[in-house]
Order: sequence, then structure tokens, then C-alpha cells
Amino acid sequence: MVEHSTRRRWRRRLGAFLLPVAAGLALLPHVQPVVAQESAREIVDRVDRLLRGNSSRGTVRMDIVTEHWSRSMEMRIWSLGTEYALIRVTAPQKDAGTATLKAGNDIWNYLPRVDRTIKLPPSLMSASWMGSHFTNDDLVKESRIIDDYDIEIAFEGVRDGGEVWEFELTPKPEAAVVWGRIVEQVRKRDLMPLWARYYDDRGALARSLRFEEFRTMGGRLVPARMVVEPTDKPGESTVITYADLEFDVPIDASFFSLRRLQRETGSN
Amino acid sequence: MAVRTWWRIGWRNLGRNRRRSVITAVGLAVGYFSVVVLVGWWDGVVVEMINNGTGIVTGQLQIHDAEYLPDRSVYRTLGGDAGVDVAELLERVTRDPAVSAAAPRVYGGGLVSSGSATAATAFLGVDPERESKVSRIMTSVTEGRLPARGANELLIGSEMARILGAKPGDEVVVVAPAVDGSMGNDLFVVSGVFTSGLSDLDRTFALVPLDALQALMVLDAGRVHEIAAAVPDPWQAAAAAARLDTAVAGAARPLAVEAWTDLRPELLEYAQLSASFNWVLLVIVFGMAIFGVANTMLMSTFERRHEFALLLALGTVPSGIVRSVLYESIALGVIGLLTGAVVTLPVLVWWHHAPPDLSWLVGDFTMAGALVRPVLRVEYPWTMAWQAAVALFLTAALAALYPAIRASRVAPADTLSGR
Repeated sequence: MVEHSTRRRWRRRLGAFLLPVAAGLALLPHVQPVVAQESAREIVDRVDRLLRGNSSRGTVRMDIVTEHWSRSMEMRIWSLGTEYALIRVTAPQKDAGTATLKAGNDIWNYLPRVDRTIKLPPSLMSASWMGSHFTNDDLVKESRIIDDYDIEIAFEGVRDGGEVWEFELTPKPEAAVVWGRIVEQVRKRDLMPLWARYYDDRGALARSLRFEEFRTMGGRLVPARMVVEPTDKPGESTVITYADLEFDVPIDASFFSLRRLQRETGSN
Repeated sequence: MAVRTWWRIGWRNLGRNRRRSVITAVGLAVGYFSVVVLVGWWDGVVVEMINNGTGIVTGQLQIHDAEYLPDRSVYRTLGGDAGVDVAELLERVTRDPAVSAAAPRVYGGGLVSSGSATAATAFLGVDPERESKVSRIMTSVTEGRLPARGANELLIGSEMARILGAKPGDEVVVVAPAVDGSMGNDLFVVSGVFTSGLSDLDRTFALVPLDALQALMVLDAGRVHEIAAAVPDPWQAAAAAARLDTAVAGAARPLAVEAWTDLRPELLEYAQLSASFNWVLLVIVFGMAIFGVANTMLMSTFERRHEFALLLALGTVPSGIVRSVLYESIALGVIGLLTGAVVTLPVLVWWHHAPPDLSWLVGDFTMAGALVRPVLRVEYPWTMAWQAAVALFLTAALAALYPAIRASRVAPADTLSGR
């Protein structure tokens, strides 16, 4: 049970990264050299919010490798805050047109093959989303790291030739998280996250998340590639790569409608 | 004196107070009847529990890929990715003398959606004809009919039908992750609704034709997750599993053959627990009878102390007295046993073939996760019948021992002189 909720919680945390991906990586407009006095808490919060924006639109490629199969999907993503997201698969052909709409705490899926929209029951929230290592829950939930964790600098110095911080995040006593610990590495130069490792309450590494290919997209420096690797399934991974990304695009809540879910979304 | 003489004396003594002898014998008979019928009824409940626990869907015997249980990964089909010759495997399984039928199955998880309602669903892909000989779920259709082979039709549980607001003839969306990583989805028609009485099944299970589910999950025709087999005598299942384990050995990927005793250990534990309670029952009933018989024998020997004194005074050996009293009690036991058996046997036969149905009094209940009907059906408890007979004789003999020894120690002079 603990393991199960641990994993869920972890996925939720992942969601905090995925959604923003959907949401548009809202990095600070122009990265300033880091102010030395900045506290650990402020840095982690800034990195956390790096991956959140007002609205976004982008194209993503998702490569999933599991023990039994591997596949690649391409999708268009629209988001507004943390409340709304619309994801439409464009490739492969078999799945093209399949779309997921998140509005608040609800998720709908549109299935073009049968031309039907189905609402996901709560019992399937922890099920895999499109076969990836993300869950439906990841799309719905979001929370801020600094609300749930006490943060301290575990390491400050040079790693692999670059100045970095390593933050150790331990859950606050009252926080509803079951992670024993999260360690996150952030490079000092431009405040880019490099990796995050999630440990269960027995101190064992559960999963890792790597950030790669830092590029400027939509006027912001973002990690264009994120790699998720579950520790309990060696060799399996989900890789998300951004092809293009725009921030603060003119869309409002009415865009995220069931009607939009079903039809081609055009240039928007 | 010869043994026969003491027997005759013992037997005749029974007639000296007939009413008392009859009452005691009836007491023993009632004890015998209660133990045997109660145990028979309880065995009947346990057999019903096992039949329902294994007969509704489990089957008494299952074959999987060795790594399929307990995770039930959809990838672990029999024979791995290559699959097996399902028809040949079924043939080999049904050839076992204890097996009456076998059926292939595919399992999948996903959802069924109708209108705005969606239900998380466990899909069971079945061969409708074969399956109806293995499990009873196919016969518990309360509305509509079974799904037809090759058709996009499904049979859903009554509770799921209520949640979805679906009835036979309705179109529903079925979604199930396929083994190639894609999201299998298609339109299906509800062919019927089943009611098993087990809420889990009725809420989460949907039966789909094997080939339709294989198509949805991108599984080849040779890929199934399970062969389930029916073994009419559930206590033969473990032996049949051992035989089949040898018969299917040497496959490309190892297979696991398991009887219900492995698949549903809680049912086996319950059956064993109830068997041990049979002994407790036996000890309690005949323990009580011992005091009844002992009381009778003490009374009758006390009344006859003058006779015993006289016999001893005339030179009878004390062991003769002991024998006559013991034989009297054992003769009483024989009468009790005969009476008990004469009453018990017809009741057993009657309740085995035409059991009284108490469902007007109490509803169905579940035991160890299996549905049980409140029916007084008895299994023939032959083991208990002879165990109880032995217990009855022991009771009669043990109960008479103390009165017999007392009778043989009567002091002749004192007793005869009335002191």
C-alpha cells in the first residue's frame, strides 16, 4: 500500500513536470546570473515554476520503451494554467486523432476509431496514460514542491566540470506525501535542473528524472528533453522531447471544450 | 462359565427394565443421528462452497505460463509471444480421466463506456461453448443471451449494467490496452447480463468472445492466458493437476498447472477447519452420552447388588460379573446403533437427493468468498458414520466400566445380610 501510494505520489510530482511541459516551460524571461544570497527554498521554487506558464502551445514527441514493446508518438499540446490541457496524438497513424482533455480534475478521452468520447472513472486515474510511464493522475494533479517539502542544500560545488547545487527535499511532517526524500540537482550557471531522484520511505531509489537538451524555445531557455526511468523496471523509460513550444498564446478556458476534443484543432 | 453365557445374561438383563433400556438406546441413537447428519450437512455446505468458489469462474484446475501468476501480466501468454496450439493443449487436458471439460481464456483490463458513464472492467475472453462446460458464469445469464463467437458482443454483470445504464442491444465503447502498446478500442453490443451473486464479479466482469478480445488486444489466435478445466470431484483436482503437470512438461516455455487447492487456498483451509470441527462435535456428543449410559448402568447395577452378592457368594469369579455388566451395556449400544442407523440412512438419502430449501427462511450467504445457498443438502459422511459407530461402542463400554467394577466388588456377606 505504501509502495503504491508512494508511486502515485511520485507520479503526481512527475505530473508537476509533465503538465508544465504541456503548460509551457515558463522559465524566467532572461536568466540572470544567480544571486548568491538566494535561499535554497527560492531556487527550488523557481526551478519548480520554471515548468509552469500562463498558457502554452507545443509539439511533443514521446518515446516509450518497455520490456515488451517500444513506440513513439507525436502530439500537439495546448494548456492554460494548471487547470486545462488538451493533448492530441498526431502520429502514429493508428492512434492519430486520439485526444485527451483535462479540465480541472476530470479527464476525457476521444477515440477517433469509434468516434466516441469517454470520461475516465476515478478508478483509472492511476492507470498508465497512453501506455507511458505517466499516469492519468499526472495530468490532473499539481502542487508546489515548497509547500510540501523542507529544503536544504546537500551539496554546493563542482560536479562534472560545472557549478551545481544539490538540494535535498524532505517532506514536512504534515505533508501528505510518502516520499522519503527527493534529491534535485540544479546547475548554477542558468538555474537549469539536471536531474531529480525520488527515494521511497525506506531510502531506496524509486525513479529518476533527467533533464537534457537545454534550448531556447518560445523565448525561454528550457530543457527540451526529459527522461523518466522507473528503478523497478530496468531498461524501461519514457522520453519526452519538445519540437517546438510557444508561451502565453491567446487561448482561454472556452478553448478546452468537449467539442474541441473531438474535432481537428486547426491552427490554434 | 462360557463367554456366551455372560452375553446371554447381559442381554436378558436389558429386558428387566425395558423402559429404561429403550430410553438409553434412543439417547444413543439420537446422538448418532445428530453427529452423522450434522457432519453430512456441513460437508454438503463445504462442497457447495468449493463448487461455487471454483465453479462460477475459477474452474477446479488452471494452466498458465509459469510466470503469469500472481501479477497477471497480459504479456505472459501460454508459450510466450509465440503462443501455443490451443486446440492440441485443450485436447491433452481433457484426456485426463478426472477432467470433464477445458476452455481457453484471455484476460484484459480496461473500460466499458456507455453514454456519460464509464466502468473499469476486467475482460474475460472465452470460447462460449467450451466455457459453459467449465464454469457456471455462462449459465447465470438473467437477460439477453451469450455473446456469439467472432462478434463484437459482450456479456456484462448486472451491477455493471446498472452503473452503465446499459441493457441488451445497447452499443458500448470498449477500451483495452493492447500488447503492442496501443490503446485497443472498438464498439461492442451488450448481448446479455449475468448475475453471479458475487458482487465483485457482477460489478467488474465482462465476458467477450475470445477472438474479439484477442483482436482488440492485438493477440494472435494462439495466445491465451489460461486454460481452465472442470474436475467434477473437487478432491480429485490436485491429483489431476500433478498428472497434467507431467503431461505438459517440455513446452518451449514452462507451464504451471494448479488445482483450486493452490488457486483458492482459503477454500481448502476452510474445508480442513470444518473437518477438524467434526471431531470436536463427535467428542462433545458422545462425551455427553457417556454420562447418560453410565447413569443407567449405575442404577441398574445398584438395584441388582443383592444378585451380585449372591453370585459372588456362590463362587462366581468377579470378572464374570464385570463381563455381564459390560456385555449388557454393549448390547444396549448395538440396539442404539441399529436404531440410529435405521433412522439416519433414509434421512441422508433423502436430503442428499431432495434437500430441504431454507431460502424462504434465510437468504444466500457467502463463506470464504464463495456463494452458499441455505439448502440442507448432505454429502454422504461415510467416514464419520463408522467413526461415530466406533465412538458409540466405546461410549457404551467406557460408561459401563465403572458400574461393572463396582458390581464385582460388592461385599457378599454385608449385602446379603442387609447391612
